[in-house]
Amino acid sequence: MARAGRAPWLTLQRREAIEAWLFVSPTLIGFLIFFLGPLIAVVFYSVSEWNLLSGEQVFVGMANYHDALRENPDFWHVIRNSVIFAIGLVPLNMALALTLALALSRPFRGVVFFRTVFFAPVVTSAVAWAIVWKFLLQGEGGTVNALLGYVGIDGPNWLREPDWAMAAVIVTRVIKMVGLNMILYIAALQAIPRDYEEAARLEGASGWQIFRMVTWPLLAPATLIIMVITTIGSFKVFDHIYLMTGGGPENGTLVLAYYIYEQAFEFFNVGYASALAMIMFVIVLALTIVQLILRQKGAA
Amino acid sequence: MRAAKTRLTVSLLALCLASGPALAENLRFTVWTGNEAHLKMLNGIAEGFEAAHEGTQVTFETIPAGDYVQKLTFQLAGGNPPDLGWMFEDSMPAFVAAKAVEPLTDVLENTEGYDLADFSEPAMGLWKKDDEIYGVPFSTSPFMIFYNKDMFDAAGLEDPLTLAEKGEWNMTKFREVAKALTRSGERVWGFEFKDGQGYDTRIMHAVMPPIRAYGGDAWANGACGFDQPEAVEAIKTLHGMVFEDKSIVPPGEQGDYFSGSSAMTINQISRASKMPEAGFAWGVAPLPSGPAGEAPVIGQAGLVVFAKSDQKELAKEFVAWMTNKENVAVMAQFFPPARASVLDSDAFTDANSLIPAEQMKNVAAAIKNGKVLPSHQRAPQILAAQKPKFDALWRADADVEASIQAICAAIKPQL
Repeated sequence: MARAGRAPWLTLQRREAIEAWLFVSPTLIGFLIFFLGPLIAVVFYSVSEWNLLSGEQVFVGMANYHDALRENPDFWHVIRNSVIFAIGLVPLNMALALTLALALSRPFRGVVFFRTVFFAPVVTSAVAWAIVWKFLLQGEGGTVNALLGYVGIDGPNWLREPDWAMAAVIVTRVIKMVGLNMILYIAALQAIPRDYEEAARLEGASGWQIFRMVTWPLLAPATLIIMVITTIGSFKVFDHIYLMTGGGPENGTLVLAYYIYEQAFEFFNVGYASALAMIMFVIVLALTIVQLILRQKGAA
Repeated sequence: MRAAKTRLTVSLLALCLASGPALAENLRFTVWTGNEAHLKMLNGIAEGFEAAHEGTQVTFETIPAGDYVQKLTFQLAGGNPPDLGWMFEDSMPAFVAAKAVEPLTDVLENTEGYDLADFSEPAMGLWKKDDEIYGVPFSTSPFMIFYNKDMFDAAGLEDPLTLAEKGEWNMTKFREVAKALTRSGERVWGFEFKDGQGYDTRIMHAVMPPIRAYGGDAWANGACGFDQPEAVEAIKTLHGMVFEDKSIVPPGEQGDYFSGSSAMTINQISRASKMPEAGFAWGVAPLPSGPAGEAPVIGQAGLVVFAKSDQKELAKEFVAWMTNKENVAVMAQFFPPARASVLDSDAFTDANSLIPAEQMKNVAAAIKNGKVLPSHQRAPQILAAQKPKFDALWRADADVEASIQAICAAIKPQL
């Protein structure tokens, strides 16, 4: 028997709240289990020495961080490689993506075909991509060097010389991933009202002036986002290095994510690898904050 | 009443769950083969064990070779340990040092009719520590020279098997024929390292056969051996073949023996399975001898019981069952045995449908006289430390001796 004078527990507001939680719960549970949980665990692992085989786990405080930052010369070599990779990849990727987007943002006959062509590598298997490029980049029998030979250039043994190997992995990575940034730029370009461009054109602005004074400033938010995700992606690059060079030759392409993998999954130094992962997290976070600050200053 | 019903249901459920493992003992066995014929053979061996142990079921779980050690380690660390499994030779010392695998000596010595002495001492060397056996090799596969007979015949050269039978198959002859068979303009080489990966993941497979033939070793007793005169001479020979003779597929090039672009390669007999589709006449010969005489090199894989298994004793019994004479003879069709009695039998020499019996006799001899690849508790760290220094060695303008010194300097802290 219902008791008079007592408000029902399940009010409309509560019901809506429960429904909302139910809707977000699959994602939320996934986030907690597969993202937040491991993230917190990595912090604990990073202050321990954990031998996976024996199961021994010993608290070592900041020793893993000290080893990485002060004792292990490999770490700074790896950071240098990661920075070179990022400096090489980010501007090249963005410049190429913007160029392609400017060319392919307007409708013309065959535009969909060209967009597909440039986007296709993004969805191509990384393994297939690496195998094909390893053939193309062979020292003597490679297609790239054969083409260079036609214009009188004696190409290097791309993947066996440290400096050239870094250049090769950067360029092949750019070609693989540029389609993604191209799509983002195309979306951003299509969101810019045509009126601005038409107004500038009526005022007598040239194509370059329109791009520099109208289009480029309006692309700034998209550029920031693209820069942030491309930079983060460049620091996290792993599969490409694993498949193309394995960090070689002479550790010339040994970047941070690959180094972490090596420590964790080949040497089973889980504690040290976790400390490296935390350092990578801090670097990426710092870069993102710097870019956001620069953006805010630019907007001010 | 309702509460009592609930309690009863939960209790029955708990009883069912708890009694599950007691009713059937399931041994989980990790392997890195997914080959149907291999699994069929393994299941056949397991059926005999299951018949003798009522209620026991053996399940083979495939983990791809490339991920095997990683996934296995994470299963052990994550509280989901298999009971037993295959183990790579180079991973074994680390597992033994971490006490992650169980000693097997007691069970092997006390299993009736097992005949532990039938396993040769060199074959067991890698699987023992302080007189305790921690693993039993199920595959003891020597590295052999695979050659393209058509290319030798076309060049009017005697093939390696013929040269070996005449006692003339040595490092000098090997270098000579490799150079004679090379046609640089046509991208045909005299020799290719194992699976074309001798400059990367298979550095040890590339350098160890000649180093052993010259009488050296990679390391021993905590000391680097690459810088010893014998090893230096061997590495100089290889370097000369790559960059002076240009007879070995060089770094950065994609050669492929199996498609006919190299006259010879080095591999284990399991790779013979790729030969029927190669489309040329071929043969298997011993490794070329050197100043130290014949020095076969063996790759091994063994069976181990994991220390975290809940059914260690049953798992140990299964290892003894799987590696008894009868079952080793069954496995010999795919995995060269370490048991002398099986090696000497026609069952082994006739077991391989692709390799003729007279060539299999060379395989058997190599198993008996061979030495396993160098191993170490910190093998992954050593291989990673030496890799960049080997990269520097494999350049045309490299100072070979200086590069070798650099290799030793890099691995000494790990040794």
